[in-house]
Amino acid sequence: MTTNLELREVRKSFGSFKAVDGVSLAVTAGSIFGLLGPNGAGKTSTIRMIMNITAPDSGEVLLFGHPRSPEDLRRVGYLPEERGLYPKMTVMDQLVFLGEIRGLKRRALLPRITQWLERVQLGGWGGKKVEELSKGMQQKVQLIGTVLHEPELLILDEPFSGLDPINQELFRELLIDYRSQGKSVVLSTHGMELAERMCDHICLISQGRAILAGDLKDIKRRIGGNSYRVVGDGDLESLRELPGVEQVMIKDGVAKLLLTPETEGSDLLRQIVERVRVHEFRSEEPELEQIFLKAVRDAA
Amino acid sequence: MRPETVIVVVKREYLQRIRSKGFWIATLILPVFIGAMTVLPSLLLAKSKARQVVAVVDETGKVARELTAKPETLPAREREREESRPAKFDFRVETPSADAKAQRAGLDQRVLAEDLDAWLWIGRDTYQKGEVEYHARSVSNFVTQEVLRDKVSRAVRRARLREAGYDADKVSELSQPVEVLAERVSEAGSRKEGALAGAAFGYILFFMLYLTLTIWGQQVMQGVLEEKSSRVIEVVVSAVKPFELMMGKLLGICLVGLTQFGIWLITFAVITAPGILATLATLPEGMALPTLSVAMVINFLLLFVLGFFVFSTLYAAIGASFNSMQEAQQVASIAVFFLVIPVFLMFRIINDPGSTFAVVCSLIPLFTPLLMTLRISLQMPPLWQILLGYALTLGFIWCAVWVCARIYRVGILMYGKKPTFQELWKWVRYPA
Repeated sequence: MTTNLELREVRKSFGSFKAVDGVSLAVTAGSIFGLLGPNGAGKTSTIRMIMNITAPDSGEVLLFGHPRSPEDLRRVGYLPEERGLYPKMTVMDQLVFLGEIRGLKRRALLPRITQWLERVQLGGWGGKKVEELSKGMQQKVQLIGTVLHEPELLILDEPFSGLDPINQELFRELLIDYRSQGKSVVLSTHGMELAERMCDHICLISQGRAILAGDLKDIKRRIGGNSYRVVGDGDLESLRELPGVEQVMIKDGVAKLLLTPETEGSDLLRQIVERVRVHEFRSEEPELEQIFLKAVRDAA
Repeated sequence: MRPETVIVVVKREYLQRIRSKGFWIATLILPVFIGAMTVLPSLLLAKSKARQVVAVVDETGKVARELTAKPETLPAREREREESRPAKFDFRVETPSADAKAQRAGLDQRVLAEDLDAWLWIGRDTYQKGEVEYHARSVSNFVTQEVLRDKVSRAVRRARLREAGYDADKVSELSQPVEVLAERVSEAGSRKEGALAGAAFGYILFFMLYLTLTIWGQQVMQGVLEEKSSRVIEVVVSAVKPFELMMGKLLGICLVGLTQFGIWLITFAVITAPGILATLATLPEGMALPTLSVAMVINFLLLFVLGFFVFSTLYAAIGASFNSMQEAQQVASIAVFFLVIPVFLMFRIINDPGSTFAVVCSLIPLFTPLLMTLRISLQMPPLWQILLGYALTLGFIWCAVWVCARIYRVGILMYGKKPTFQELWKWVRYPA
């Protein structure tokens, strides 16, 4: 399988602060890769090094199988965390400019832009200045700017922040569509739910280090082998105190328990019944958020 | 550097600015202002040239006659002078009535009714006191009053002379002032002439650059800061090299500046063309215009453009080092400083334009535009010196853009922090 992006032991310090501390990862073609981690973990710093905005102190960045060149970067679509467009430019001019700096010709761009604007329900807004658009609309324009040159690799830093559920869904469809064309997407986010629904592979970063990486399904099997779902009435919070329970997540009367490997589910059930009235108790795949929390805590 | 990428950036910078309302307002306001400055005063003058109706009450019985004397009776010189005055009067002589108070009140009424513009009271004691009264709705029309004062003074003087038994016309003729026809005598002849013309060229270029830079330096700075302040920078630098971006921005903004200057120049040429043509047609024989060779004009224009670019790089460097316009503006005057230094060097170079000192100074990139212009207009320097001056300045622009790009490149992510000089130096040496 072709690897579109590979990082080898990449490091970056700002003064004495190690922002990225030896991260390695590989993104294959036709996949969505989740770069996950809490705020300040080093996700954006990693992405900026991929995009050659900052230089790594050491380590290697490979694009499309070889050390990165400026020409390779033109085959990448990048949506930075800091969103920004030229406020005084019209949507059309803006998008033409973003296409032209990647070597496309105006004539080829115009029909493509019109098509994209239609697709994100911005048809007829091409002549408006960017500053006249709402934040959400601007974000859509920026996304078009990111995919307009049909890059083989998309790097999106927190693409869903500030979007309403309808537009989140629109974005999600676009990305799934992208994957089906055999291209790759790198998605940085701390929104676990969306990552869980979309990502094939993940890399979990905390304090500049990759603490967990690989195929999402494998990880769930490996880490969350001992995970249960409890539905019941009563003090679900009290389940936190039970021995052998590593982590509890409670949402809408449902408690999700992650147990230590040596704990038996059936032993635990006896103790649970003493505390709450159980309607349902079954083994279940853990949520990514649980894995995330556990991994971050284990690493600390 | 990929030229096609630079062109994309240039195109954006140029079109964005040319399409903005601000550009056209700024561009048109100067010609309109200059037009207004030339047309308004003559309009105002024309207005005050209208004849004013002034009633005259003359208690002496002698002055009014002089005041209303037909111009034909005046000596030629005085008549000429009379006709060129910016205010003219229609004097209506009224006989003084027994009740002076009632007469004054009546005159006031007529002024208020706009039957009269003003009235003049020439008292019995005018000869001794040298004073007459002037009553009008407004007394701030100093031009009119000045002309009137002149007229009345002359009338009183003539009346006095007549009374003393002199022939007023004869006296006036005999007491005509003498004109001094000034001509400049110079020792070094044509050499001094050239020096003056050369200095003039230097100063014209200085003011042209000064004007353009005060307007466009800010624009360059703001333009360089634009991507940083709108946070579009990360997307742009992922496709465009910072050097390409800087070069494109500088070229684009400077081209807009040159467009504006071109519009002004053309407007100015159109406005002044009839005047210049008329002057040429009526030029007296033997009088020649100062000679301008084609080479001089071309060099002058090239040096202006080059000067504009080279100083713009300074503004770009300032813009690249800071994150906000407020911070950048504090040090923006440094750029003008470099423009002023060669003005001081000009004096020494005028004395000896071929000296080593002059040659060296005129080859220093930031000084070349002004000092090379000066040398060219004084005494054409060898071609290699001119070409070397151009080459060095272009090289300087290239390096300056490179340094700007480096500073810019590293400074992008340093939001909200003023850089120190050590940091700037570190940024320049930073690995790309």
